[in-house]
Amino acid sequence: MATETRTKPSQRKPPLWRNLTFLKWSAQLLVLAALVGLAVILGSQAAANLASQGRDFGWGFLSRPAGIQIGEGIFTRPSNGFQVLQTGAVNMFRITFSGILAASVLGVVIGVSRLSTNWLLNKLATVYIEIIRNIPLLVQIVFWFFVATLTFPNVLADQEGAQWLIISNKGISIPWLFPTDTFWQWGLFLIAGVFFAGRMFKARVRRLEETGSDSYPGRYALITFLAIVVVGWFAHPIVGGLGWLWQLLANIVDVVPTIAWQLLLAALSVFIAVRWIRSFLDSLRSPAGLAKLTDDDWFRIGLAGALGLVGAATFLFMPTLAASITDLVEFIFRFFDQKFDFLRTGNPLRFSRPDVVVPGRFAQIGSSGMTMTPSFFGVWVGVTLYTAAFIAEIVRGGVLAVPRGQTEAGLALGLKRGQLLRMIILPQAFRIILPPIGNQYLNLAKNTSLGIAVAYPEIVAVGQTLANQTGQSMQTFLIWVIFYLTVSLLLSSVVNYYNRRLKLVER
Amino acid sequence: MKRHFMITLTILALVLAACGTEAEETTTTTTAPDGSTETTAPDSSVDPGGQTGGGLLDTILARGELNCGTNETLPGFGSKDEAGNFVGFDVDLCRALAAAMFGDADAVRYEALTAAARFEAINSGLIDILSRNTTWTQSRDTELALDFGPTTYYDGQQMMGRSSDGFSAASPLGEIEGAVVCTNAGTTTELNVSEAAAALGVTITLNTYEDFNIVMENFKSGACDVVTTDGSGLVSRKATDPEGADWVIFPSVPISKEPLGPAWAQNNSRFGDVVTWTIFAMQIAEEYGVTSANVDEMLANPPNGEVARLLGGEGELQTVMGLPADAFYQVIKQVGNYAEVFDRNLRPLGLERGLNALFADGGLQYPPPAR
Repeated sequence: MATETRTKPSQRKPPLWRNLTFLKWSAQLLVLAALVGLAVILGSQAAANLASQGRDFGWGFLSRPAGIQIGEGIFTRPSNGFQVLQTGAVNMFRITFSGILAASVLGVVIGVSRLSTNWLLNKLATVYIEIIRNIPLLVQIVFWFFVATLTFPNVLADQEGAQWLIISNKGISIPWLFPTDTFWQWGLFLIAGVFFAGRMFKARVRRLEETGSDSYPGRYALITFLAIVVVGWFAHPIVGGLGWLWQLLANIVDVVPTIAWQLLLAALSVFIAVRWIRSFLDSLRSPAGLAKLTDDDWFRIGLAGALGLVGAATFLFMPTLAASITDLVEFIFRFFDQKFDFLRTGNPLRFSRPDVVVPGRFAQIGSSGMTMTPSFFGVWVGVTLYTAAFIAEIVRGGVLAVPRGQTEAGLALGLKRGQLLRMIILPQAFRIILPPIGNQYLNLAKNTSLGIAVAYPEIVAVGQTLANQTGQSMQTFLIWVIFYLTVSLLLSSVVNYYNRRLKLVER
Repeated sequence: MKRHFMITLTILALVLAACGTEAEETTTTTTAPDGSTETTAPDSSVDPGGQTGGGLLDTILARGELNCGTNETLPGFGSKDEAGNFVGFDVDLCRALAAAMFGDADAVRYEALTAAARFEAINSGLIDILSRNTTWTQSRDTELALDFGPTTYYDGQQMMGRSSDGFSAASPLGEIEGAVVCTNAGTTTELNVSEAAAALGVTITLNTYEDFNIVMENFKSGACDVVTTDGSGLVSRKATDPEGADWVIFPSVPISKEPLGPAWAQNNSRFGDVVTWTIFAMQIAEEYGVTSANVDEMLANPPNGEVARLLGGEGELQTVMGLPADAFYQVIKQVGNYAEVFDRNLRPLGLERGLNALFADGGLQYPPPAR
């Protein structure tokens, strides 16, 4: 910048190799070219290696019978490779979501305990954190797995029949409420309940702020939710008629020709790019007019425009892409169509107790309870305890980062310790701890891949078996990469969304 | 500012140059060992893995060491002794190959592999030969781009249960109804047991583990009701475990054919010849009673022409293959004939020759003549 102002008075144009704009652009383009070149070199090398080994690169193994059996999951006898991977993915999600939930609760409790003035609680939390985070996760997972398989009792044939709780080396089974085929109809009432409870909560809070008298927002919200849900329990066949609407939508998607969808998607692609560029330019606009665009801004505008056009061209010249997208949309509508039916009645949930069955000469846990296999137990307990230790430290750091004056002010107002924590400290600490906790969630999701050590059939374990039986290891690797990338990006976008919502509004 | 950009540009140029040379190097190093005389292969000049004809054999001979993928968790076939050395039936094949190629049975670098990792180890070039109780199947031979050598051990898959659960050696497969069956991941056993159970209409839960030691731990604790793998593997586990007396192996007729043998990357016919004929040499030696104890005497005083040719005393059968003339003499001298290897590794576990006897004794091992 300084050089530009210095050369200006002499009105001498700098030579090309000293022209800042030229250098900047060429550097960026060179980096881009280098990256693309590297990818091309690696790709062609891999293709040449595969060709010389006489192996072809195809995706047929996803639709061919896999012949393998999976220990647990939605398809224990998958009929093709795709179902194998699907089962692995769902198993991965089961651990990820239940693990995030449990680790968050445990982490906050332990993090707060570490700050407790109660000596015993404080030290216990410290010991927990120091032990857990200094042992590799793999060791912990194998440890908990062996706890489940080597120390829990056998299932015995004389326990045959319904039980309340089964703890055995073939799994832990508890009573559970299972969704029935009317669950989706009732699910609409659940969503409505959450929505209206939120509205009620806000309305009552506004009333509290206006009048100053306690308007019990929490109780009102809870009552609203329960009322809608209870009504829905009996009235859900009413919305069953929506099945007709889903069917209509699916038929519309089916009837409209692909070329129309192609045009629509291409237009959408260009529209999104244009809208992004416009909002970008708007953000640079000040009362004095549009600010001077830097090279960086031009690059971003150019890239957005190019991506929009490439997207549009892809949709226009690849009918199969548009067709597969409409197929997916149609599939979703058909799925809902199946879940709704006007004449479908009955309770949306079914209570069921675990049982012991003896199909042959071995006693096994039957399918009527909610059962956690030793493999699931090992991975779940392992990742939960491990992640909770890190979350606890983040929570502690976040609480300590809230200025001491806030605590003192709260105490001066006469708040009790619990109230102080709940209403003043944690809301402020939450802002600080959310981004690093998001990282821990990502770690947890990725750490589920260690389940392979204890025969937990998540996507890496089943993918490896599939690759081994079919020889398509490179494709399996690609699928893993895309899967984990998608899951991680989705998780972090959820965390980022909450992070933006919690940010202090500044003007 | 400007200097920074010049520096950045220089670094970029260097990186690009490095990429360029790296790519060049890859092509030069990979085409260099391909000095084979087989010019009939149309793509021998662009063959990055040096996979045509004699490439692999020449690479190994130049390296002076054999990279051998084997098992370390299956006593009798591949495991480590107290001193940490690899021992076993499959390990002895690698030793025999090293003896044939370098005259030194110890010129082997071992790579302990899990069942699931073994094939990628061949295709990535980590190992030259896989000698790890591997079943020869059509899809492995074709889809996985491997070549298989002669079957060194005819095996069959069986189950192992506890006699306290009511199993006996005569139990049919149908008795595993409802059982939690455990085996290791990425094996043919996994496919066989699913298929056999489905054919019988028997429902089982199948848990597959990377490590067979974990399978056995769970079998002992009762978390697995039945374990399954190749019969030889079960015999070896039963023989070495203190609790083995309570275990029984069934059904008496194995549920599958498991021809176990060595495998290597396909299109390496000269290396394949070396592997194939090293195995046959050990079996021919057994056929004529040539053992490590009497091989010197046999070399000096061969009983017939075939033994003389085998030990390199006459003709040049071995030198044509690219091996020293005394290659198979060294194999017999340092490792022993097929019977010696079998007796040393497998008989202590209680495995009988059975199908693996020579043809003359009613078995399936039938080496073609050395001529």
